[in-house]
Amino acid sequence: MSRPAGAGNRIVTSRYDGTWADLPAWPELPCAAAVLVADNTDAVRAVWQHVVDGDRETLVAAATRVDDEQAEGLRADGLAVVRGEDVEPAGTQRAADAGRVWLLTSGSTGRPKQVAHTLDSLTTVAGDQPARTWLCPYATGAYAWWQVVTLSLALPGQDVVFVEPAQLDEWPRLALEHGVTAASGTPTFWRQALWRAGDVVAQLKLEQITLGGEPVDQAILDRLREVFPDARISWIYASSEAGAAIAVHDGRAGFPQAWLDRETGGRPRLSVQDGELVIASPKAAEGMAPVIHTGDRVDVVDGRVLITGRIASDEINVGGSKASASSVRRVLLDHPDVVWAAVRGRKAPLVGNMVVADVVLRDGAEADTARLQAFCAERLPDYSVPRRMRVLPEIPIKETLKSDV
Amino acid sequence: MSTLSRDQVRTMMGEVLATQGKELPADDSTRLDTIGFRSLDFSELALRVEDELDTELNFDAPQLRSIETVSDVLDFVEQLQQA
Repeated sequence: MSRPAGAGNRIVTSRYDGTWADLPAWPELPCAAAVLVADNTDAVRAVWQHVVDGDRETLVAAATRVDDEQAEGLRADGLAVVRGEDVEPAGTQRAADAGRVWLLTSGSTGRPKQVAHTLDSLTTVAGDQPARTWLCPYATGAYAWWQVVTLSLALPGQDVVFVEPAQLDEWPRLALEHGVTAASGTPTFWRQALWRAGDVVAQLKLEQITLGGEPVDQAILDRLREVFPDARISWIYASSEAGAAIAVHDGRAGFPQAWLDRETGGRPRLSVQDGELVIASPKAAEGMAPVIHTGDRVDVVDGRVLITGRIASDEINVGGSKASASSVRRVLLDHPDVVWAAVRGRKAPLVGNMVVADVVLRDGAEADTARLQAFCAERLPDYSVPRRMRVLPEIPIKETLKSDV
Repeated sequence: MSTLSRDQVRTMMGEVLATQGKELPADDSTRLDTIGFRSLDFSELALRVEDELDTELNFDAPQLRSIETVSDVLDFVEQLQQA
């Protein structure tokens, strides 16, 4: 296969610092393989082997995401399961589906399911791009991880510094050390970084800041703009199933209402059905319905379409009244002392569920839970006001960089 | 499981009302509608009890009854803790 344009880009992991092209070969890797890795070094090696050979079928995932039962399922599907030097052959012998890349995505049941892509369907950035050093803090093998990887493979001048889960707390120092100029993360990732190591983060020479993976609210966009007045701040809406569907660069939450129901060649068509975001995308995974019901709730406010959260977890039935967790969260985040908030329903007598919230406050905050409840009471119907509120010592974050807000 | 005394629950009930600038009267026969203690307040009280006991209460266990006075609330929470 021809060398990709990004072959000379620099890749930094906890055990490797060199170009894609100089990555050590992995010739003994079975042609159709699920590579369950302990860190990003093996992950990028597997990716590069997939690129170089051209006829491989590859799944890359953090070993922690795949239990024994699922590994057996992968073998039954015809993939050898590779963990470091340990190779378990496929249970079903078949020819590799050349060029196939499998992603694991958390299904609606929480159990990972396989989604079919290729390097081409995962590559969503084209054309001339300024030279950058990217930070990739995403879980190995996740859709967002592949976005950074394929960007680096496809375009020259796109170096990548990978962050291992164990390094997440210290990524600002790592980014500073390697001269990172572009970083992509969830709103929770950015909130935690600014809250925990704002002084180091502010020293970074970031030219591009990207947010995705969770609803992106105006408060975090504004905060990032304060710290990085000259950076391009973008948010993207992407998923393993729908691909990268929305990219917004104007520094505002949501996207223009004019983008709805618009036909533009080669670009996803966005629409809203019963409050749900619906996408028809040329970059969708294979086997998906032509129109994907995303399960994400949207509100149209002042000409902007705001993606507010998962429909299934957004509505809280409080004694027959419907509270919206995302709306409550938005109000809490509007309070100047609140740096992070999560809102959910909690089982309660008489009314079935009550709205409760966890918050993290900024250093030196004057607000307490009573004041925050009063703040909410001025802005929300009484059934939507969080009746129980916990102040957490720090922002919780999972390997997915999300915090189930 | 440890339980909260009737007085402790009464104090909590006063706290729920206090956050809304209301006061719990001394007389337990006071009707809830006269002091503005509503379903949401009652539910909040139950969650406060859960948090204090650090346990999940079985809200379905107590028999259905009419909760009209302060005393009814305290009786219900007592029964809730014993379920």
